[in-house]
Amino acid sequence: MDSQSAFMKTIRQSLGVSADTERPKKLYPALFTNADTKLILQTIKNRTAEQQDELVELLQANAQALGIKFHVVRSHDQAAAIVVKLVRTKNPEFTHTKHIIHHDHPDLAALQLWKRFNREGITVHTTFSPDRQLHEKTIASFIGITAPDIGVAESATLIQLTKPGCPRSTSLVPSIHIALLKSENLVADLREAYALLRQEAQLDSFVFITGPSKTADIEAQMVHGAHGPREVHLLVLCPQPAEETANEAKNPSDTAGQQTTA
Amino acid sequence: MSASPPSDYRSAAVTGIASPRLQKSLHGLQERFGKGAMEIWATMEDQEMRHRVKEARMNTFAHLDIILTELAENVRARGGQVHFAATAEDAIGYTLAVAKRNKVKRVVKGKSMTSMEINIDPALQGAGIEVVETDLGEYIIQLAGDKPSHIIAPCIHLDRNQIGELFADKLGIDYTNDPPTLTMAARKALREKMLGAEMGLTGCNLACAEIGQISLVSNEGNIRMATTMPPVLVALMGMERVVATLDEHREALQLLTRGAALQKLSTYVSFLGGPAGQDDPDGPREFHLVIIDNGRSKILADPEFREVLACIRCGACLNICPVYGKIGGHAYNSPYCGPIGAVVTPLLDGINKHADLCKGETLCGACKDICPVENDLPRMLSALRHTLAYGSDRWNTSQHSPGEAAVYSLWKLLITHPLLYRISLRLGRLFQRPFVRKGKMISKMAGLARGWTEGRDLPPLAGRTFAEVWKKKYAANRPQPSGSVNQNKEGS
Ligand code: SF4
Repeated sequence: MDSQSAFMKTIRQSLGVSADTERPKKLYPALFTNADTKLILQTIKNRTAEQQDELVELLQANAQALGIKFHVVRSHDQAAAIVVKLVRTKNPEFTHTKHIIHHDHPDLAALQLWKRFNREGITVHTTFSPDRQLHEKTIASFIGITAPDIGVAESATLIQLTKPGCPRSTSLVPSIHIALLKSENLVADLREAYALLRQEAQLDSFVFITGPSKTADIEAQMVHGAHGPREVHLLVLCPQPAEETANEAKNPSDTAGQQTTA
Repeated sequence: MSASPPSDYRSAAVTGIASPRLQKSLHGLQERFGKGAMEIWATMEDQEMRHRVKEARMNTFAHLDIILTELAENVRARGGQVHFAATAEDAIGYTLAVAKRNKVKRVVKGKSMTSMEINIDPALQGAGIEVVETDLGEYIIQLAGDKPSHIIAPCIHLDRNQIGELFADKLGIDYTNDPPTLTMAARKALREKMLGAEMGLTGCNLACAEIGQISLVSNEGNIRMATTMPPVLVALMGMERVVATLDEHREALQLLTRGAALQKLSTYVSFLGGPAGQDDPDGPREFHLVIIDNGRSKILADPEFREVLACIRCGACLNICPVYGKIGGHAYNSPYCGPIGAVVTPLLDGINKHADLCKGETLCGACKDICPVENDLPRMLSALRHTLAYGSDRWNTSQHSPGEAAVYSLWKLLITHPLLYRISLRLGRLFQRPFVRKGKMISKMAGLARGWTEGRDLPPLAGRTFAEVWKKKYAANRPQPSGSVNQNKEGS
C-alpha cells in the first residue's frame, strides 16, 4: 500500500491540493454519477414489434458492411439447420478433425447439436463449467458457438459477458464464430447497451465483438482473420411474425417441411 | 522514458523525405484516415461530444487521486493486484518479479505503447524470457529488428515486398508479397506462441474506475488472446488512462475508435479487471495492473501542458500532420511520434534532448482540428519552444541555443533603432555580394546561417527597401482621399 500512498501524494502535490490529506470520494459525489438510465431502459422495454424489426434491419445492414454473414431465423430448428450446414461445409483451419464447441446456454442447448451429427466424424463440445479439458477442446474446435447477451444495431456489435459456462475463448480461438442472438436482446446503440451493462449486478469480464478479426498492417490492405475468428456468422432469432404464426397453427406441417430442407 | 540516444531528427527526416516508398504510404494513409476523421467530426450528429469528453478528461485529472484509488479498490475487490509505479524502473522491476515468481518462459505482448515507453523488453529478455509482439505490425517490426513509425500502423514504412522477404527469411515460408498469405503465415506462427505463453503483457486504452476494469481495443484479436490464454496477465497503464464512469467510457471509446480508424467500434473491445473465476477454463489466474507515473505527474502539475494528458492515443494527428506526412515516424526517435510525440516525448524524456521535435512542426493547427479531444498541440509546441528559448527550472531545461538567442537580441536592438537598422541593411547588402548567385538567389550561406540554405535558396536583401521605393516613385502621386478614384482609373 505504501507505493500507493506515495503515488497519490505526488498526484495531490501536482494538483496543488494538500498533499498529505487523502481526499475521500464521498466528498465528491458528482465524480461517479452517471446520467439517469431509467428513460433509456424504458425505451428499450417499450419498443414495439415493428421498431424491433427495424433494428434487426439496421443490424443486418451494418453487419453485412463489416463482412458478418447474417441470417434471420424463426426457430431454434432453423438456426440448427444453418449451423449444421456450416459445420458440414466448412473445413478446419488448424486440425484435421471436425470439433465444434458451444457455450453452456439454454438457447444453444435448444439447438440440440449433439444429436445432429450421429454418423459423421464430428464432435460437439459444450463448455460445461467444471470441465478441466475445456482449454484443449476449445483449441481443437474450428467452430465456436455463443449466444451473446446484447446486440447493438448501430455498430453491429455483439456483447458477450463472461459467466460460468460461457468462457471467453469460445468466440475467440476457433476459426469461425457463430453467434445466436435473440432479437429481444438487440438494442439500438451503445448508450442503450451501456445502460443494460450498468444493470448487471456483478459485472465481470466482457467483450464487444464487431465483425471478424482483421488487420490492415501490410500496406493498409484489409485481411480478415488476423488472430481471432476469420468468419463471423450472426443468427438473429426473431419471433414469428403474427400472420405466420397464424398460418402455422392452421397448417403446421408446412413449416416442419421447411425446417428439414433448410 | 527509456534512455534513447539524443534525437537525430534532421538526418532521419532527410532519409524519410528521400524514400519514395515511405512518401507513398504516408500519402495514402493521410488521404484516407486524416481526411476520413475530419469528415466524421464534421458530420457527427452530436457535435458537443468531443468537447464533453475533453471536459470529462480534465475533470478526471483534477481528481486523479480519488479516481485511481477507486479503480484500485474495485480491481482488488475482484481479486486483482494493483501496483503503483512511480518510475519506469519500478514498473519493470514489478513486472519482472511477477514473471520470475511464475517461472515465465514466454511473454506475449498486446500492442502497448507504455511498454515501449518504459522499454521493458530488454529487461525481460535479460532474464531469459522470450518476448513476442502479437500485433501483426509490431510483430513485423520485431522480426525486422526495426522501430515502429506510427502509433496505430507501426510498419507503415515497410512495403509488402520487404515484409515478404522478411517472412521468407525469418519464418521459413516461400517468398510471397501477398498480404493475405503473409497475414495467414503470421497468424499460424503467432497462434502457437499465444496458446503456449505463460504471461500476457498489455497496455490499457481506458480504465473505468467505477466498474474497476481496464478496456483494450484491437482489430486483430491479439489482445484478446493475450488476455485470455496465458495464466498470468500484467497490464501496464499510464496513470492518465482512466475515466471515472461508464458514461465517460462510452464517449471516449467512441472517439478513440473513430479517430484511430474511422470505425464505430474496433473489432474487439475487451474489458477485464481481475483474475478469472474458479471454474473458468480460460482467463488469467493472476491479474496485475501496474499504474505508471514515469513523468506524468510533472505534466499534471504544469497548467501549460496538463491538457496533453487528455490524449487517447488515437493517432489521428499523425494522419493529418504535414510534417509527419513527409518525414515519417522514425525522425521522432520515440514510441510516440507525430504531433503528439513532438509534445509528449520532450515532456517525458527531456525537452533539451528532444529539442528538434517541437521546432520541426509547422504550427499549422491541423492536429488541433483533428484531435478528438481537442488537444491544442500547436499551443503546447509553442510553449515548448518558449521553454527552449528561455530555459526553465520547472522542466530542468537550459536555453537551447545561446547563439540563436544572441541573434534575436541583436535583431530586437536593430528593429527598435531605425538608424542602426538602416546602417546594417547597407552593410548587409555589401556582405551578401559574394553569396548571390547568377539566378539572383543566395544558395549558400556561412556560419550560423548555413542551415537556412541547406534545403532552399534565399532571395538576397533588396537594393532598396520598400519604403525607399515608395517614397521615390509613388508617394508624390498618391490618390486623393476622395472623388479621385475614377479619374485615376480612366487615366491608366
Ligand atoms: S493528441 Fe489527439 S489526435 Fe493526437 S493521438 Fe492524442 S488524442 Fe489522438
